[in-house]
Amino acid sequence: MSIQKSTTLNRLLTNIFIIVLGVSMLYPILWLIGASFKPSNMIFTDPGIWPETCTLENYGKGWQGIGIVGFDRFFLNSFTICILSSMANVMFCSLTAYAFARLNFAGKKFWFAVMLVTLMLPAHVTTIPRYIMFRTFGWINSFLPIIVPKFFATDAFFIFLLVQFIRGLPRDIDESATIDGCSKFGIYTRIILPLTVPALITTVLFSFLWTWDDFFNQLLYLTSPDKYTVPMGLRLFLDASGVSSWGPMFAMSVLSLVPAFILFFSLQKYFVRGIATTGIKG
Amino acid sequence: MNKTIRENLTSYAFLAPWLIGFFALTLYPMIYSLFLSFTQYSLRQPPQWIGLRNFITMFGGNDQIRGDERFLNSVSVTFKFVFVSVPLKLVFALLVAMLMNKKLRLIPLYRALYYIPTLLGGSVAIAVLWRRIFASDGLLNLILGGVFGLTDLPAWISNPKYALGTLIVLAVWQFGSPMIIFLAGLQQIPTEYYEASSVDGAGKLRQFFVITLPGLSPIIFFNFVMQMVTAFQSFTQAFIVSGGSGGPLDSTMFYSLYLYIKGFGFSEMGYAAAMAWVLLIIIALLTAGAFKISGNLVTYGSGE
Amino acid sequence: MKKLLFVLLLSLATLGMLFATGSQETVDDGSVVIRWAYWGSGERVTISQEAIDLYESRNPGVRVNPEVSGGAGDHFVKVDTQLAGGNGPDIIQMGGNIYDYADVLLPLDQYAGSAINVDVIDPSAVASGTISGQLKGVSTGVTMPSLVYNKTMIERAGAPLPPKSMTYAEFKDYLVMLKGKLPAGVFPMQDIGVMSSSSTPFGYWTRYNGTPLYDAASNSTSVTAAAAKKYLDLFMDYRESGLVPPPDIASGYAESNADTSSLIAGKVAIAYLFTNQLSGYQAATTDELDLIEFPGAAETMALWQAPSQFYTVNKDSKHPEETAKFIDFLVNDPDAALILGSNRGASASSTARAAGAASEADQLVLDYMEVAGPHSSLETDHVPNDTEFNSTLFLIYQRVAFGQIDTAAGGEQIHDLIMRMIEK
Repeated sequence: MSIQKSTTLNRLLTNIFIIVLGVSMLYPILWLIGASFKPSNMIFTDPGIWPETCTLENYGKGWQGIGIVGFDRFFLNSFTICILSSMANVMFCSLTAYAFARLNFAGKKFWFAVMLVTLMLPAHVTTIPRYIMFRTFGWINSFLPIIVPKFFATDAFFIFLLVQFIRGLPRDIDESATIDGCSKFGIYTRIILPLTVPALITTVLFSFLWTWDDFFNQLLYLTSPDKYTVPMGLRLFLDASGVSSWGPMFAMSVLSLVPAFILFFSLQKYFVRGIATTGIKG
Repeated sequence: MNKTIRENLTSYAFLAPWLIGFFALTLYPMIYSLFLSFTQYSLRQPPQWIGLRNFITMFGGNDQIRGDERFLNSVSVTFKFVFVSVPLKLVFALLVAMLMNKKLRLIPLYRALYYIPTLLGGSVAIAVLWRRIFASDGLLNLILGGVFGLTDLPAWISNPKYALGTLIVLAVWQFGSPMIIFLAGLQQIPTEYYEASSVDGAGKLRQFFVITLPGLSPIIFFNFVMQMVTAFQSFTQAFIVSGGSGGPLDSTMFYSLYLYIKGFGFSEMGYAAAMAWVLLIIIALLTAGAFKISGNLVTYGSGE
Repeated sequence: MKKLLFVLLLSLATLGMLFATGSQETVDDGSVVIRWAYWGSGERVTISQEAIDLYESRNPGVRVNPEVSGGAGDHFVKVDTQLAGGNGPDIIQMGGNIYDYADVLLPLDQYAGSAINVDVIDPSAVASGTISGQLKGVSTGVTMPSLVYNKTMIERAGAPLPPKSMTYAEFKDYLVMLKGKLPAGVFPMQDIGVMSSSSTPFGYWTRYNGTPLYDAASNSTSVTAAAAKKYLDLFMDYRESGLVPPPDIASGYAESNADTSSLIAGKVAIAYLFTNQLSGYQAATTDELDLIEFPGAAETMALWQAPSQFYTVNKDSKHPEETAKFIDFLVNDPDAALILGSNRGASASSTARAAGAASEADQLVLDYMEVAGPHSSLETDHVPNDTEFNSTLFLIYQRVAFGQIDTAAGGEQIHDLIMRMIEK
């Protein structure tokens, strides 16, 4: 595997293979980027990737947002929601996951099953009762209905993810720590957390991206335009009855990929065999 | 304090945020939707109790109640989608994850580029992109016609026979999430295992089956269960690509899309809630089955 | 354990701070706040805000908060949820589905003549917002169904342009002629039978045949299975003669917007359109577009003028009087008319038109309305459950187009569907 030295030819072939596969997968994205530089009235008539006529107009117009609120505001709102959400998610989901994966307590199997079941109900049918509930709390038109649930580990996907990773760690390490007089919380912070860094990074990344993408909740709970987010802003370019602004929509779609791309690029270095398991004999 | 009690207390302290969240935020909407499933609820009038009527309608009806063919069709479309797309996506994600785990200088860039399709998520732009590829004059037909000289090619995306296929391709194309989870999982397999086995003269293929697969099995299991759960609830992509219609001829009418159309489009939220609970039971049974079977196949860290 | 408690407490504190900064702003300066929910984008948002600013400057103590969604679909999901949660906005922009919302809308009759001056609004526009004798919505402006054609494409093919008015026989002859001139892969006309919002052209055809879709007073339809079959046969004939694209190509275009339009994509030369959408379609192509009537309109006056949208008031509105006044401002005030132009349809108010707002409307639409206006009669009542009706009608058309069922069975299913919608 990767530890073995590959020959130069081998490495070259691998590179070529990765690039060819990558380019064919990225074709739609390249088209999207190309389209964002085409004049609005040529987007659907000029089929190529490379624009026949190139313009920056879409970016200028798109950045204006919906006239009364600019896209800078939408980006700021999205960032606020996503950063808080992903921090809360990683903290509280990992606490919960540690309990499920390593501690023994009455009703563990039951609660674990309950947690999984919460993943299985389509969200659209809980929309109305959730709305009524958050309205009672006085949270409508604020970020609270989107962020607060993350502080209570309601995203069971990540709990289950972290449970699986923690269960994959050899048990002897926390047993030896217990003998050394470490408390449960100490084991959690000093042993489990450092050993599950790739999984924690995954949680941060996915929480960020999925909250960034979560149009439906943002549509329901944010009502004044100065609280709108990026996906809402994108939808506001499309109007079935009037003039749709596809050019600006594409331009802002491309821009909205940039923060996610940067985040991914800067986090991916943690997906390496780091401190994780070196020195541990299974 | 008694040791068991203390351990229980500690455990519940760890669990406290989730438990509070469950009781305060999750439970009520779930129970309320269960109640709604026995009602007729137009969103503009209070719910009216109608007993099992919604469920009878769903499962073929009886002498007085007319069955719902579109529902049964959506079940079959969804099952086809899940059973084809999930295995394909998982295999593809695992292969790419292994490729992305190689030590090459450009690997950080490759990883990021391979993740881009997933970054698009449920963006409205996908509708346009997919038509660009799979329409009658789309890219795919240009290639099939130009390079392979094929004629009489279908309009993939709007032909009832192939439309679901294009959505399966879309699902597989957005393979990034399981790929990343696999990649994270690969980091947890102790390198010593590989070193030891290459000293023993094991080949790469053998290493894959003897070390990688068992070492990754908790993660494979996770990805399998979660991809299945989410595939059953697939909504956004079908909604966007079909313009919210589930067409052509209901061939991409996913369960969740039909549920949404029933609930918000046709103002039958009671029926939608009933559909949701039927789906929950289907998924729960399949997941429970997966957990049963996994007992023999998944190996956790030693000592478990 | 202690440390764990510490972490939990710390996060509670964070949450507290979040509430302090994030919770709903309650600027309580005693002003009346009107919530105005509508769908739209770009220009509509900007000019609506300009109108709000003007109104607020004239009426201190009144604030208008716009709640805008990108499309009608998003708008209604949001409004439905808000209404169910007892938190509906004061003004709700409505479309053809106003009938389905009649129960939750405030009758405006008590404000007609006082807060809202209905005397200056065209009687037909007032009538279209009147449901079971009560005024439930005020028309935002007028639109008409039409056929749009690609002038540049037809000229390039060397064919004559279509006249504004034709009979069905002339129309078919024209399509056949056009087919002979257009390049391969381009079809004379869009398959209206395979598009999602198909009840409007179908509605036209039933009016043309004197069998209107629905009559609210008697809660009945004049459409029989045989009558519906004739419509399916008409398009079957077009399809078999190659005048419209084959079904798998036709259904590749959702036809809900310029980007999903086969006309804009250059696949067909003629398509169906509401006149208020023309400027949006024109903006999406470099080809020149123009409008003609549905066939047979001149003989039967089967066309109609319809409000492109309505302003309606939530029956639970806390400030109905102020809301009604603001609506009056939007539709009748000359200054507001200058700002709003014809974005929500050509104005139906004489005071707004006198301000010159109508002159800003697209000249092509005005030319069309000059011819088509006299070929119109009062709008037919809408079949109840508008969304479900359209969606299922669309499915039945597709079954016929893809050959799953024949036109006779399709006719039966359509009749069955209308009956079901009426009884629901």
